[in-house]
Amino acid sequence: MGKSLSRTTLVIACTTLLAACAEKASQDAEQQAGANPSLPKAQQFLAPPMQVPDFVGWKDGAAPTVAPGLKIEKIASGLKHPRQLLTLPNGDVLVVESNGPGEEAVTTPKQLVAAMVKNRSGKGAKGGNRITLLRKRASGEWEKHDFIGNLHSPFGVQLIGNTLYVANTDAIVTFPYQDGETTIRAPGVAFTDLPSTVNHHWTKALQANPDGTKLYVGVGSNSNITENGLEVEYRRAAVLEVDVASRASRIYASGIRNPTGLQWDPTTNRLWAIANERDEIGADLVPDYMTSVTEGAFYGWPYSYYGQHVDRRVMPQRPDLVQKAIPPDYALGSHVAALGLLLTRGNALPAKYQNGAFVSEHGSWDRSPLSGYEVVFVAFQDGKPVGKPETLVSGFHSKDESQLFGAPVGVVLDKEGALLIADDVGDTVWRVTAAGP
Amino acid sequence: MNQPVERRRSAVANAVYGLLNPIPFGFFVAGLVFDVVYAKTGTTLWGKGAAWLIALGLVFAVIPRLVNLTQVWITSRRVSTGADHVDFWLNVVAIVAAVLNAFVHTRDAYAIVPAAVWLSVLTVTLIAVGNVVIAVRPSAQREYAHG
Repeated sequence: MGKSLSRTTLVIACTTLLAACAEKASQDAEQQAGANPSLPKAQQFLAPPMQVPDFVGWKDGAAPTVAPGLKIEKIASGLKHPRQLLTLPNGDVLVVESNGPGEEAVTTPKQLVAAMVKNRSGKGAKGGNRITLLRKRASGEWEKHDFIGNLHSPFGVQLIGNTLYVANTDAIVTFPYQDGETTIRAPGVAFTDLPSTVNHHWTKALQANPDGTKLYVGVGSNSNITENGLEVEYRRAAVLEVDVASRASRIYASGIRNPTGLQWDPTTNRLWAIANERDEIGADLVPDYMTSVTEGAFYGWPYSYYGQHVDRRVMPQRPDLVQKAIPPDYALGSHVAALGLLLTRGNALPAKYQNGAFVSEHGSWDRSPLSGYEVVFVAFQDGKPVGKPETLVSGFHSKDESQLFGAPVGVVLDKEGALLIADDVGDTVWRVTAAGP
Repeated sequence: MNQPVERRRSAVANAVYGLLNPIPFGFFVAGLVFDVVYAKTGTTLWGKGAAWLIALGLVFAVIPRLVNLTQVWITSRRVSTGADHVDFWLNVVAIVAAVLNAFVHTRDAYAIVPAAVWLSVLTVTLIAVGNVVIAVRPSAQREYAHG
């Protein structure tokens, strides 16, 4: 035990040392946010640069920092890696507690070391594989109920009529749901399979269209940049469309490395997504993004990024596909790891947050200084993002970037229009409201 | 002063060296083959295989390199020849190249090409030259194990 610990320390020390030789970010997040991010030249490294704060969690009473005019409270804690949230029609809130299934084989020496370093942050903690229901009492306290158990790395959850659709990492399963229930005992029924080899990016985001006839599924790539072979990328790095009546599925849009946070914008009738872009070609490459998802479009992964910036790490190269690649709408900044999106056209927060998108950024592991680890607001005009992201909730890590208290993931509005944030490192659900006058 | 050479040699060290020293060379040669096949095909299996081969080659190189260091510069200092010194330094550079190569192999997919191939060529060539230098020197001087 002691021996293996000291070996771990040695490995981490060596990695840190090598990573320290790597260049620091030269751009600030501001420069890289917006419709036309500046993209420096791609670099290569001797060792993948890593900077990961150590997990400490929230000490008693500690909470994230909110922008002026807002206040934040903890409504649930002691959860097991809460990732996604869904508000039910009666105001109950579902919390999906999950983490990766840990099924990816170790096929390189690098994976051994990288996993050790990344797990220091608490992001690798085991998930609950369950859904917890939160119900607000008249007193303002929130009750916790075990809602559904025995899931398999669930992420997306949607309610259509009386059927709850849960996207496990390998399949969508359905559960019957009656208004007011706090526990579902019925076993899940297989609805349709999802791509489930390797599951390098394991999350399956889920969004129904407004009339409940289609489900959109975000399926991440099976690698950073095809290092697991192109054959495992079949129906990966794509948004799938599942026909609810027939259960048939097809690729709706492709070339999106890791699409999550699927949202339907009712005003423009368009699907939106956030995506995590590729790593290890620089601290300022490639910015993660938010984009409307155009049916049939190809967004570049793996062959190119931001339109037609070719990635030389892919073999064979495909100039024919690069030509087809379109750039996403809005850059969020490099390595911020956007994992939660909420389009809003009205809520209980102050006036400036009424029309736009809340984006939660889970935070970087391969950038120095750290990026992400906050919830931002991006204003929309005429159905399109404008201006720079504004920080709404921050303070998830210590100022010196050595300690990690929490990391934001899923975001939803509760029935009263307050913003709820799942924090899968702090194992907490936060609620943000307007500060009293 | 005129001690017999035998008293300065350790049979155990020689045995350990004789057993372990060929192993890294085999790994590095296989790594070179894998790197070349990966550069030619782009099939990721070969690149990942090369990463393991080079890492394992380095692990197996630790003990024989330490034995060689001790023998050439300390225990058998008086009888070590120019060939032994050349072989020692060729191996030092080869190991440095292999360590760099192990790091190059942490890159994803085709980003390891072409650096991986050149570093593998360098590692194998240096050790091979060292082996030849030792093999062709006058046999009367083969007093102790060497690399």
